[in-house]
Amino acid sequence: MKIKEANAGALTNFEVLDFLRSRGASKDPTRVIVSIAPSEFKVYDYLLESPVCNQTKEQVNEFLTRCKSYKLAKAEVLNIINLRPSALVEIDPIIEESEKRFGEKLEELVSLVVEVLPEPPKQNVPEEENNEAKEDTVDEKGTDEDKTETTNLEQMDEDQTEQNEDGNRMEVS
Amino acid sequence: MFYLSLMEHTLRLPPHILHLPLDEALKAELEALFLDKVIAKLGLCISVYDIRSIKGGFVFPGDGASTYTVEFRLIVFRPFIGEVIVAKLKESDANGLRLSLGFFDDIYIPVDQLPNPSRFEAVPNTRNQGRWIWDFGEGEEQSDEPRFVIDGADPIKFRVQSVIYHSIPLEQPENSKPFAPMVITGTLNHDGLGPVSWWEEAEMIEEES
Repeated sequence: MKIKEANAGALTNFEVLDFLRSRGASKDPTRVIVSIAPSEFKVYDYLLESPVCNQTKEQVNEFLTRCKSYKLAKAEVLNIINLRPSALVEIDPIIEESEKRFGEKLEELVSLVVEVLPEPPKQNVPEEENNEAKEDTVDEKGTDEDKTETTNLEQMDEDQTEQNEDGNRMEVS
Repeated sequence: MFYLSLMEHTLRLPPHILHLPLDEALKAELEALFLDKVIAKLGLCISVYDIRSIKGGFVFPGDGASTYTVEFRLIVFRPFIGEVIVAKLKESDANGLRLSLGFFDDIYIPVDQLPNPSRFEAVPNTRNQGRWIWDFGEGEEQSDEPRFVIDGADPIKFRVQSVIYHSIPLEQPENSKPFAPMVITGTLNHDGLGPVSWWEEAEMIEEES
């Protein structure tokens, strides 16, 4: 085995998600049929819960062209596309020396992100109409064994109960 | 988080899959070989992206199978230092936190990388487990539920400090943790890091004021 090029290009989370989707990954429980390994499904599940699940290629390209004027490092652009920060406090750990380099313009950058990239699936909004976009398996599965997640045929049922629990959670917080 | 890596590998195609089209058979073999494995300095292999070239097809004397030299690209998970990642809490004990990404579990936040000051509240009757609480600026509240607790309720944002690839140990003592070939160390000690709910409250306070 020879490594010819250890770094043949960085991929955003969106590109990996797109690749897995094109191979046939989907959310339904009948996963034995498609040609995707269980370990790849774990990555797919993780990406679905992140802000990238609603992104499209056009949005990512548009963001790339429009953020050129801010002279961000490649790592920072990658972080922003993957995380989709919607507030100043979220973008702060991503950008180094934000005050020196940006000062006021940081808010413009945040509003650019909010404008171009779609919102991540919210966790405590029970009235989401688009069930495809909302995949909130985050809360309750934090302490579960990972093994049960991908082979779990009751995943649809769990989603339903989680929607109810999310409703409760909203009142508490 | 993910990179493409160009690799070249010489592999033997077992005869029982010779009926498949060549690239499918090679892809299946490569996946069985690389998927979900850590390559030192490269990262955790997630997927075979594509096959660039196939050379060879030699049959060595005495062998029933043909051997190919394949050039292909792998998607590897290799976070860079300074990357901010969202993960879920897996374990929390007196040495720090352990986070999980679903496909990758060996993410540790040592005690000195937790937001300062933090204190540990052990759950009684469990050995070493408990939850961490960030004492941010609250002097007067004693009996209230502390505001900044790290429990498993919502995902945690952390920043990668280092990625270490351990060399394979020759012998392992009994009852030790299973060998972790790739360990990520992270930090929570910055604005915007930590459980997501901590900073949603901060946003609301900013809007009010």
